[in-house]
Amino acid sequence: MAAVEFPVAGGHAADGHGDPDANYLQATHGFRSWALTVDHKRIGLMYLTMVSIAFLVGGIFALLVRLELFTRGKTIVDGETYNRFFTLHGAVMVFLFIIPSVPAALGNFFLPIMIGARDVAFPRINLLSFYIYLCGVCILLSSIIMGAVDTGWTFYTPYSLQTSNSVISMTLGVFVLGFSSILTGLNFLVTVHTMRAPGITWTRMPLFVWGMYATSLIQVLATPVLAITLLLLAGERFFGIGIFDPKLGGDPVLFQHFFWFYSHPAVYIMIVPGMAINSELIATFSRRAIFGYFAVAMSSIGLAILGFLVWGHHLFVAGMSEFATMMFSALTFLVAIPSGVKVFNWTATMYKGSIVWASPMLYAMAFIFLFSIGGLTGLFLGTLSVDVHLTDTYFVVAHFHYVMMGGTVIAFLGGLLYWWPKMTGRMHDEKKAKIGFWFVFVGFNTVFIPQFIMGSRGMPRRYYDYLPQFEPFHKASTIGSWILATGLFITAFTLLEALWKGRKAPRNPWGSAGYEWMTDTPPCLANFHSTPVITRGPYDYHLATPEELSTGWDEVEAGAHTKKKD
Amino acid sequence: MANVSESMAGTERVGHDAHAHPEFLQHHFDTPTQQFNASKLGMWVFIATEILMFGGLFCAYAIERGLEPQIFDDAHHFLNKIMGASNTVVLLFSSLTAALAVRSAQVGKRNLTSFYLVVTLLCACAFLVIKYFEYSHKFHLGLLPGHCFGHPGLSAAIQDGQEVGTCLHVNAEAAPVTPEWVKAVDESGHVRLLPPRANMFFGLYFVMTGLHGLHVLIGMSILTWVLVKNIRGKFSPAYFTPVDLGALYWHLVDLVWIYLFPLLYLVGKPE
Amino acid sequence: MTEPNAPATFQLPEQMSTVAGDVDWLYYFIYWLSVVLFVGIIGAMLYFAWKYRERPGHKAEPTGHNLPLEIGWTVAPIFVLVFLFHKGFQGYMDMTVPPANAMEIKVNAKQWGWEFVYPNGGSDNELHVPVHKAVKLVISSTDVLHSFFVPALRVKRDVVPGMYTSQWFEATHVGQDDIVCAEYCGGRSKDSSGNELPFAQMTGHWSMHSMLHVETPEDFTKYLVGIGDPCASYTVKGQTCPASVLVAQGRKIYEKKACIGCHTTDGSRLVGPSWKGIWSKTESTDHGSVTVDEAYVRESILTPQAKIVTGFPPTMPSFSGQISDQEIDEVIAYIKSLKD
Repeated sequence: MAAVEFPVAGGHAADGHGDPDANYLQATHGFRSWALTVDHKRIGLMYLTMVSIAFLVGGIFALLVRLELFTRGKTIVDGETYNRFFTLHGAVMVFLFIIPSVPAALGNFFLPIMIGARDVAFPRINLLSFYIYLCGVCILLSSIIMGAVDTGWTFYTPYSLQTSNSVISMTLGVFVLGFSSILTGLNFLVTVHTMRAPGITWTRMPLFVWGMYATSLIQVLATPVLAITLLLLAGERFFGIGIFDPKLGGDPVLFQHFFWFYSHPAVYIMIVPGMAINSELIATFSRRAIFGYFAVAMSSIGLAILGFLVWGHHLFVAGMSEFATMMFSALTFLVAIPSGVKVFNWTATMYKGSIVWASPMLYAMAFIFLFSIGGLTGLFLGTLSVDVHLTDTYFVVAHFHYVMMGGTVIAFLGGLLYWWPKMTGRMHDEKKAKIGFWFVFVGFNTVFIPQFIMGSRGMPRRYYDYLPQFEPFHKASTIGSWILATGLFITAFTLLEALWKGRKAPRNPWGSAGYEWMTDTPPCLANFHSTPVITRGPYDYHLATPEELSTGWDEVEAGAHTKKKD
Repeated sequence: MANVSESMAGTERVGHDAHAHPEFLQHHFDTPTQQFNASKLGMWVFIATEILMFGGLFCAYAIERGLEPQIFDDAHHFLNKIMGASNTVVLLFSSLTAALAVRSAQVGKRNLTSFYLVVTLLCACAFLVIKYFEYSHKFHLGLLPGHCFGHPGLSAAIQDGQEVGTCLHVNAEAAPVTPEWVKAVDESGHVRLLPPRANMFFGLYFVMTGLHGLHVLIGMSILTWVLVKNIRGKFSPAYFTPVDLGALYWHLVDLVWIYLFPLLYLVGKPE
Repeated sequence: MTEPNAPATFQLPEQMSTVAGDVDWLYYFIYWLSVVLFVGIIGAMLYFAWKYRERPGHKAEPTGHNLPLEIGWTVAPIFVLVFLFHKGFQGYMDMTVPPANAMEIKVNAKQWGWEFVYPNGGSDNELHVPVHKAVKLVISSTDVLHSFFVPALRVKRDVVPGMYTSQWFEATHVGQDDIVCAEYCGGRSKDSSGNELPFAQMTGHWSMHSMLHVETPEDFTKYLVGIGDPCASYTVKGQTCPASVLVAQGRKIYEKKACIGCHTTDGSRLVGPSWKGIWSKTESTDHGSVTVDEAYVRESILTPQAKIVTGFPPTMPSFSGQISDQEIDEVIAYIKSLKD
């Protein structure tokens, strides 16, 4: 990459404050410099902090749910409280954690850098979306404290029209969070269209950016429909509009259609960013360009489009017409193809590569393993006659945890470990990271494989108590949750420990050809000292210069010896 | 002919550090063209989200109409076509003045831009005033959504000779309020009887026109802000993006009404 | 063709219906297909990770192109997927379209129990069907969503208030299986003062458990007679039904129609007033005082919100349309019998 001086407004941070060439963490100081920042990197870190807290809260609810299910009968709480636990686990994880997670934390941080831009298109709207997110968090938490909802995160009517008043405040919280999601997506779409540096053509964009772009399309088009659904639900509760309540002549199945019209594309908002991270990890740790770049990029767009057409597969036994079930089943099988393409292409990338078994790569390979199970079990659910038996059982619970957690969360952890040195300037302890990985991997499978079997044997979802034959499976699953939690804590500890005790990281610790590794570690305020001009693709290891690929560990080692210890 | 200082407004070179750039150019953009393209695209994406949101409501309308065509036919006679048409004309005219405001900003005519923006805002006010009359008439007839249908002025049912709160919130011991029949004179002078189920039509009417009205208010705030910036001389032929985007938003508000008006007010058997 | 009768396997329950065979065949087809694909992909991944691991002297080769391969693995799955779709849809239509001569049984789901109403008007909380006969269930609810699920039959159908859904099946051998609710419908684990109930009294989505009994035609006929209204044999002869029979029937209705979920008969407080000793008592309600007589009991069953006893919540659902006048008389007789 040849750096070129750009005379017009170059080398200037969106902020306008602080030295644009200083490291972004140190350029300005004080609470206000963070609370009022418009630097996408700082906003990304603030989001990262918040979604991590959300993950912890949602995770605690999960542990409580699993603890209650350890034995039959009452284990720790009564039935109504249990119903609240699983509702909150779902709502917090879906709306506060997983939908923002990759786009708002890692996407915000790296998308502008990966296209050679100084910031996103609308930095102030970026900050606004963060505060809207915080608002949504507060509303959701207050509704939890005020009495908590027990409808399941799906708010199906008529039950959600009868139960506690917190339904209105919780739907309001989700409504507000939706705007945050829309604004993030809007920002990314415009940034990718208008702010790519010279030489970064559409076919040279990193696949992470393609993934963020496809996700943003979904965020922008699907979330407004959720907004209107929640508005109508609140109106139904408050006024009795009569659209969903059968006592007023409404149709509960209509609510399910409205709800899933958003929520199915939403699961692609969750998984496509995870796949986007995985492409980066596989390429870097195989030292090889992703096989079939164009197919992988297009498959993200394909998932975004096809994802809008399959919502009815959540309603196969809900009372739809046979014609509708047929159409949705056919379309659901169609959407399996882009996912399969990605898995094949990643595996082919590893062929004749030079595979590095670093912790991010362990997560990337785990992603392929776990996402394959999740995707293949989707075949069972798309097949109509088999779905009749499996829907609303633990089989579905296991399926979506495999894709959402075994997919997105695994990729998120891999991405954090991968980009931690670039974001923080510190390298984490690889050994601890790998130990954490194995606990997570083993724990995760222990939680959810028994659930597939329970489900196919007839154990329904959202049950406070269960028939005796399922007890061994529930016990195994709960024990798995403790192993998984241990792994997650170890990983969190590893990342946080690096901030205090980690070695200073060099510019390109993994030796990647990706564009983001060309910036400083951590990046300077304006990301680049001058607008870059790109002349190769982000995975072109054979075109990159040795200087670009050098990790820089030698200089760090040398520097550490000559400098006095602080 | 705009004077030179007017057309140069907003293009003063701001010198900091080693370079100078127009005051309106934000630091993360390279050129004004890039900034303008980004802003325009951003507004179009936002408009797409608004269309999706209203689209959900139009979907609900279509489904409910399909399920209860008779109710929709009967109930729509209670919407005043004259007021609705006036609102349509008012909004269309305001879209014209908004577009003219953009044009005059583009050629640097600051005072004319302000004039057109003010006319647009006045039209918006007229829209809201007409809406107020429509809403209050329905309020008095009891043509309200849900439980409140048939309860003029949000009154609740009389139980045992006592009024028990409002139809939205009943006193603790009383039974929940249900929608009632409405017998009233419709907008063409005929006496018409609407069953309790007709609350569905008015639920959709109020949610759709209410959400639209909220967007009218938002549009007015945006245009007021643009007006203030214009008066302060922030715009020039080189930079009038906020006027452009504000007018674009206003066109969306108008467009949604263009669909609302025939679907709610006009479609149905004439009687 | 032999009927599906296989016993339970590790993954699937026993087969008890005519459609179970096809469903299970397809399930295992997908299962083995998944195993093959999974072993193939992960095997390749792990093999590459090992064979091409980074080590001194080993260099990665630049990625080439292989369009035929890419097209191949994009198009080839389509054939399998079309096959799965076709078989799945076929099986679905089989389990959705009932044969013409199916016997209809009505299913009423409510929070939190099942009631099955048989062609002779008798009702029960458990489902009995004759073997080798097509049965069509007509399913409804008056409160919230539920879902009727019998794992051994491989059938499931949501219960939607405000509409009727239906599910048919034909059982293939005599035996029993669980009936469970598969759509979350809430629960109650605290009494109306907010105190936690003992576990056995907690009820909800998880406790909507019933049993399916598949019987020989003879046993089924006997069963129908047993649940039919015993008073019918008296009234049809113009005689009055004896009090003991009325009380016994009333007790059955107390359980079948789930009154037991909110009213005890031992004086303890649950959600609604206990029935013990309330006959002829004077109670104060939100609409003045009432004497608990025939009229008040009938009114409470059909329009429960009319007069709520002071200190109790207005949560009783109406049974209008779900209980006959005869059954109301039987409940009245039962309450009368619960003296102090």
